[in-house]
Amino acid sequence: MKRSMGVAAWMALVAVIGAVPLLTDDRYLLKVLVFVGINVIIVSGLALLFGYAGQISLGHAAFVGIGAYASAYVTSGLGLPWLVGVLAGTTLAAIGGLLLAMPSLRLRGHYLAMATLGFNEIMYVIFREARAVTGGNDGLSGIPFPEVLGVRMDTPASIYLLVWGTALVVVFLVANIVRGRPGRAMRGLHGSEIGALACGVDVARLKIRTFAVSAGLAGLAGTLYAHAVGFVAPSTFSLEQSVVLLAIVVVGGTGSLAGPVIASIALTLLPYADALIPGLGKDVIAFLQDWEADIYGIAMIVVVVLAPKGIGGLIRAARSRSRAEETG
Amino acid sequence: MSLLKVSHVTKRFGGLTAVDDLSFDVHEGSIKAVIGPNGAGKSTLFNLLTGFDRADSGAATFLGGDLLGRRPDTVVRRGVARTFQNTQLFEELTAHENVLVGVEPSLRAGFVRSALRIGIRAEERDARERADHILRLLDIERWRDVIAADIPHGVRRSVEIARALATGPQVLLLDEPAAGLNGAETQSLAAALYRIRDHGATIVVVEHDMGLVMEVSEEILVLDRGRKIAEGPPLLIQKDVAVIEAYLGEEVEDDDV
Repeated sequence: MKRSMGVAAWMALVAVIGAVPLLTDDRYLLKVLVFVGINVIIVSGLALLFGYAGQISLGHAAFVGIGAYASAYVTSGLGLPWLVGVLAGTTLAAIGGLLLAMPSLRLRGHYLAMATLGFNEIMYVIFREARAVTGGNDGLSGIPFPEVLGVRMDTPASIYLLVWGTALVVVFLVANIVRGRPGRAMRGLHGSEIGALACGVDVARLKIRTFAVSAGLAGLAGTLYAHAVGFVAPSTFSLEQSVVLLAIVVVGGTGSLAGPVIASIALTLLPYADALIPGLGKDVIAFLQDWEADIYGIAMIVVVVLAPKGIGGLIRAARSRSRAEETG
Repeated sequence: MSLLKVSHVTKRFGGLTAVDDLSFDVHEGSIKAVIGPNGAGKSTLFNLLTGFDRADSGAATFLGGDLLGRRPDTVVRRGVARTFQNTQLFEELTAHENVLVGVEPSLRAGFVRSALRIGIRAEERDARERADHILRLLDIERWRDVIAADIPHGVRRSVEIARALATGPQVLLLDEPAAGLNGAETQSLAAALYRIRDHGATIVVVEHDMGLVMEVSEEILVLDRGRKIAEGPPLLIQKDVAVIEAYLGEEVEDDDV
């Protein structure tokens, strides 16, 4: 019963996502939705690391950057196929995650936040200064469109389908991880590292793997970004972006995947609200874009004060209420 | 037969010797109590045995190997589990989920198999059943779906014992399981300890509740300032002059005021 409902929900999700490019050929809307899909992938990975395992990262934008630059360089610099670029970007970001996991074995809370923040800053400097590979402040342009088996994905609709297809697979896999053994161990680690150790959880290995998977997903999103936009520049991968990503997970709620996914969709759409609501005035959009960071900040404060468990907590509360009503 | 053999274990913190050349045996299938005044080194002893702290010297032989100097998770996987004086539950997880994390050592599914859901259905089902079985063993199944943060103090101790038991230990180290329990709860704890022992686990319990200690333990180890001052069956320990001086002497008067 429960299982068939899950399958039905997934199929409905696939249908909705697949229907969008059939219903609209609005290039602006599709491009905005591509950014949303990319953020869904990054946030799924960050929810795993921060929301489930309780390990903070203020360096996730850097992993996105590693994926984006690596894939851009491999394809447009070395002339290798798109898929090789994707694999290289994802793998390199995951390796970066392994490195960043090292401080997490010794540092907690604020100290880990500082270490990961430092990592983002270091990578940011590298993105700007390693001109031979990254193009420096000017960035890299002319990154080729994705191409698999001779099929070039050069229309907004095809890129939309590629990004959202990937996002669906990622969310599905992460959902399975969080409800299985690794997810339970992560939630245990989050609750009490001592308690997790006392249960036989190999905490060091769990942290390293979670960091690697989380960073790898950010890297994968980065490769999609590079080929979707065709251009990468350092500012996309600044510390500010890492803060925004973390804010999305906080608003979405810890110990939840659905919450952060919903939050990433809502908060990424916000500054581009005119894509969904065509009649929206230019001044409203200008306001939303100028005050974007402030709106995220306010959203975070509202969540921390009114619903500390975020959107995910609200979903859980609603579920248990409906379950209570069912059983009377 | 001796299941756990502690020999000449010493631990110093700066100038303080918390555990001083301590040796004792734990017999298979027994319940052994460790008592002593605050600061006698009881919790330190548990920390040394379970890898949460490092001994300066000595050995703890268990199943032919030395426990000391191993990581906490390795010690658990070898078959020595513990609870804590300050419970270390996963507050956001339900009682059932807490115990499920305890089943961890017997599970195999990693990231890849979990993500792809390959061959994990039987493993997951068995784990859930085992967690339910242990909740029933400790008579706390009605708290199954309540998160730990909402579970009353007395039951929290039982949830932590259940979680430790889920790791499938041969030796279970309990650090003050009766602290904060009322009379009825202490009685049901005593009954639970017998059930756990009959289930196949050897128990070592640090406890201040003398009624419980005298009732359940077959042997008592008395520590004072890190040293063993007495060891033997409850009736003998009750009469031991050194024990009365070190442990009962001043403390009882203070506590009675």
